[in-house]
Amino acid sequence: MLRRCKLRPEDRPQLGFLTPYVPEELFHAAGFTPVYVFHKPDDRGFARGHLPGFTCWVAGSALDQALAGDLDDLAGMALAQTCDTMQGLTDLWRRNAGRIPLFHFAMPTRLDGPAVRRYLLAELEDLRRRVEGWIGQAVSDDDLHGSIALYNHTRALVRELYGRAVAIDPRESYSIVRDALQQPKETFNAEAGDRIQTASTLLPLSAYPPLVLVGPSLADPVLFDVIAGAGARVVGDLLDLGERYFALDVAEEGGPLEALADRLLSLVPTPTKHQSERSRANHLLSLVEARGARGVIFARQKFCDPHGFDYARIAPALSKAGIPHLLVELEQASQVGQLRTRVEAFVEMLS
Amino acid sequence: MVKYPRLQSLRAITDLIGRYYEERGPETQLRPLAYVTSGAPVEILETMGISTLYPENYGAICGARQSSVELCQVAEGAGCPADLCSYARGHLGAVMAPGAAPLELAPPDLLVCCTNICGTVQKWYEALAELYDVPLFLLDVPFQRRTPAEPHIVAYVAAQMRELVDWLEAHTGRKLQPERFREVLELSREAVALWQEILAFGQYHPSPINAPDLFIAMSPIVALRGTRQVIDVYRGFKAELEERVVQGVGAVPGERHRLLWDNIAIWYRLHRFFRPFMNAGACFVADTYTNAWAVELAVDDPFNGLAQTYTGVFINIDLPTRLATIADLAERFGADGMVMHANRSCKPFSITQGDVRDALRAELGLPVLILEADMCDSRLYNEGAVRERVAAFLEVL
Repeated sequence: MLRRCKLRPEDRPQLGFLTPYVPEELFHAAGFTPVYVFHKPDDRGFARGHLPGFTCWVAGSALDQALAGDLDDLAGMALAQTCDTMQGLTDLWRRNAGRIPLFHFAMPTRLDGPAVRRYLLAELEDLRRRVEGWIGQAVSDDDLHGSIALYNHTRALVRELYGRAVAIDPRESYSIVRDALQQPKETFNAEAGDRIQTASTLLPLSAYPPLVLVGPSLADPVLFDVIAGAGARVVGDLLDLGERYFALDVAEEGGPLEALADRLLSLVPTPTKHQSERSRANHLLSLVEARGARGVIFARQKFCDPHGFDYARIAPALSKAGIPHLLVELEQASQVGQLRTRVEAFVEMLS
Repeated sequence: MVKYPRLQSLRAITDLIGRYYEERGPETQLRPLAYVTSGAPVEILETMGISTLYPENYGAICGARQSSVELCQVAEGAGCPADLCSYARGHLGAVMAPGAAPLELAPPDLLVCCTNICGTVQKWYEALAELYDVPLFLLDVPFQRRTPAEPHIVAYVAAQMRELVDWLEAHTGRKLQPERFREVLELSREAVALWQEILAFGQYHPSPINAPDLFIAMSPIVALRGTRQVIDVYRGFKAELEERVVQGVGAVPGERHRLLWDNIAIWYRLHRFFRPFMNAGACFVADTYTNAWAVELAVDDPFNGLAQTYTGVFINIDLPTRLATIADLAERFGADGMVMHANRSCKPFSITQGDVRDALRAELGLPVLILEADMCDSRLYNEGAVRERVAAFLEVL
């Protein structure tokens, strides 16, 4: 049984989330500020006794931060079903970090098929009921519509950012995308327009080879420093929490849960999801062509199974199309020197 | 050196599996043929007369025959990162380079992948669909985060099972005849019941059976559920165990310790790994791996029953329920310790083992050893470290 969370409208406490399939709007409508919990390079050793050494650091760091007390300001935590590691983290969180209540959202693995949408709606309704039970008040359709409109505004701003990515230092774009996942949307929406304007006037275009990035999330700023330092630009991405995450709005008419379900099912899938008629390789090839990218960097978190298999399937398609690509593996703390050498060599080859 | 009594009826089981693979060679007559995951509702395919083949079981065979590393390297050469599941890497390697494989398999007509055992199978089967250019049905089974499973999750799984029937019918022209379905479900239920009885023999003192015997004996319950053959061989196996009990013969002579095993076997060291335990009189009387196929099948309401059964498999359920299952095994089988294989290839089995260890120590006072290795990739097996840690653990016992 969850401890009741007492909310005052002026509080808007933070609620952490992991994975790219949490319906943030539902938690926002319930009075929270959803904040993505990025993994950090420092390891205090709190998670090591709970997780085997072959666990990806995205999960390891979240548990480490929770057990170290870094996340004590969070009213709660949410994560969606994506991979085996996140499933295991659900269990470990409940057992060891239960003072921060965890909402598990059983996002389907399949994104198409006759039973999928009905199930997803039932799961969204179930999540709404669980959240309502926790805060002791209803989350109305009107509340949801308000949050959806706010989030659509954020998404439109991030799409504008990606539309101008060709002219923006990758460190700055990354910082703006990260803020879109962590700042209150009200703050982000008020400030992002000016930031994008200012950021998109700085790069002399011809000298910088354009790249597309593929990977799980945008956590490690080191990679962006290295890419910028090597003199390249990031003109698009297929990161789980990158361009694809902001690509589609939620319909503002009709039932809000139906609209949330439709967005989740229509996004370009991450490697943890299955859509029978849609291929990530084809999407990536079109993206590379549309943005005039000259190369692709796969940034895989070590021990990430879905992105490991994804790389093995997509890399041959890129090779076949004559698009150069590089795989870099990110660990708990990135080996900056090695990363820089490899990225510089790759960028030099493209230049 | 101590001589261990062999279970003669294991021969009938390995012969059956040998024939099973012979029949599924490149020239197979068994068409249509579907590759399926070990947690798929095979009763549906069996009813419709669709033959099946289990790449995971094949992975275990490659491991036991010391072929996995070479096959994994083929897949790694094609871009598969070396930290992915060694069943998947090995099988994909065998598909890419059949000449390097110990057994050549018939290519599939269809693929049926059920996600109740892990997320890896989704990616593995997507890769197979591309390599073979054949249709794939993905049966999506959400995590059973609370036990019993929530009704909307069971309804989702049951609806997909009905969809699977339509999909198979569309691809093969074969129908699901309700009468035959009941018959197959009954055979499957009987096989599972027999398997439960076999596993229960570990409760005797001394135990007539040890985990490595079960790892060999388990193939039919995985690969042939719903057929008469599995029942026939298991009856013979059960009779031999009964005889051992009557004669007071234990699987490990002079049994002094009774242990539990967690996770998939270390296939390339199946016997060698267990020998120091046997030499110290330690018998593995029960395990979480072979128990995964001992879940009772509800046959009255077929689709809902199958949906409940296949959603509630051991590695798809919440930790408190898994812990209760292990504690129950420890109590029923009189275990005085547990060895957990932290298996690089299997995250669903391995990721919560640290907490299971802590709970068993705290709540039952059981000594627990966690050993890091891999089920098929012997490059991850540190012989010296394993030997030392096992010796230290046996001292504690």
